[in-house]
Amino acid sequence: MFAEELKAFRRLGLRHVLLQILNFASVIASGLMIWKGLGLITNSESPIVVVLSGSMEPAFYRGDLLFLTNPPNQRYQTGDITVYKIPGADIPIVHRVLETHDTPGKVKKSQCVWLSLFLSMPLNSYDRPGITPMPKQLMLTKGDNNHVDDIELYQGLEWLERKHIVGKVRGFVPYVGYVTIAMNDFPQLKYALLGGLGLLALLQRE
Amino acid sequence: MALLAAIALSSFVFTANPKGGLEVASVKVYHANARRYPNRKQELAFVNFNINADLSPLFHWNTKQLFVYLEAEYNNTKSVENSVVIWDRIIRRKEDAYIKFAGKNKYMFREVSTSFKDVPPANYVLKYNVMPYVGVLTYGEAARTSEAAEFPAAQSRVS
Repeated sequence: MFAEELKAFRRLGLRHVLLQILNFASVIASGLMIWKGLGLITNSESPIVVVLSGSMEPAFYRGDLLFLTNPPNQRYQTGDITVYKIPGADIPIVHRVLETHDTPGKVKKSQCVWLSLFLSMPLNSYDRPGITPMPKQLMLTKGDNNHVDDIELYQGLEWLERKHIVGKVRGFVPYVGYVTIAMNDFPQLKYALLGGLGLLALLQRE
Repeated sequence: MALLAAIALSSFVFTANPKGGLEVASVKVYHANARRYPNRKQELAFVNFNINADLSPLFHWNTKQLFVYLEAEYNNTKSVENSVVIWDRIIRRKEDAYIKFAGKNKYMFREVSTSFKDVPPANYVLKYNVMPYVGVLTYGEAARTSEAAEFPAAQSRVS
């Protein structure tokens, strides 16, 4: 059954195999570049996330795909849906902001770097009138489908702070992310998919 | 994929901006125990309010649900800007989008400094979040109290 493929494989030679491996590597590399580039533009460590729990139903279900941004010159408001990660907890949580308490603060360096990159403002503009300093925010969140707020999830912290937040939800596509949940639940599927893709790339003839 | 994008883009055409009425009937402040620390005292505010708003224009073919919330906005004595959601409701059908509600806050309304003493009056605002089947989440404001409501002195017992 595979004899024919093997023969074809031998005829193509080592050079072809190397070329295909190179192609495969460049696909992976450009994927990584797009991901990191998106992260830079949105200022979020993970600009696309998959919903893993039902705590925001009926707004978001398991497997829905969310697009996040985290602009450093905007404060978070009540009603915003945030994705946050408490140090010590392993999975990020998608919940809505219930309370904000803003103490006036200073202009941060990260804010200036981001503004100079994407709005082409001079980098050393710490006290420019155009830039309003970001307040230090204390926040409380709650899942739409939960009865109580998230204090129990904060692992001893009283309030959620800006540094814990990965981003705010801006856009939404239903169910597309279910593939990744399925791959996590059934690792065989992941290996089958990866192996299949790899074989396809190797055996492909131009 | 293209269909999803078309649906998502089409919802930018609908730009309804419905307005409604909101009034605060009464605000009371009581002494209470803090939730996590039974020995720590704290003041809680109880707000009675009336909402009368028709949000049905916000429903179009790409509206999955509305998240409607009432928040209190005030600055405290240490000039910290606060906004606290005290009531919310999820609306999933156009038929339910006419809100006629009289009642009190659903969530605990407390001050970060534990006391409402000398805190300036608060404004109450009704806001909404339109959540689509696919696409971008949008926010808006449906009503705002015409004048700020004061926090009275704390009472120790319900009267």
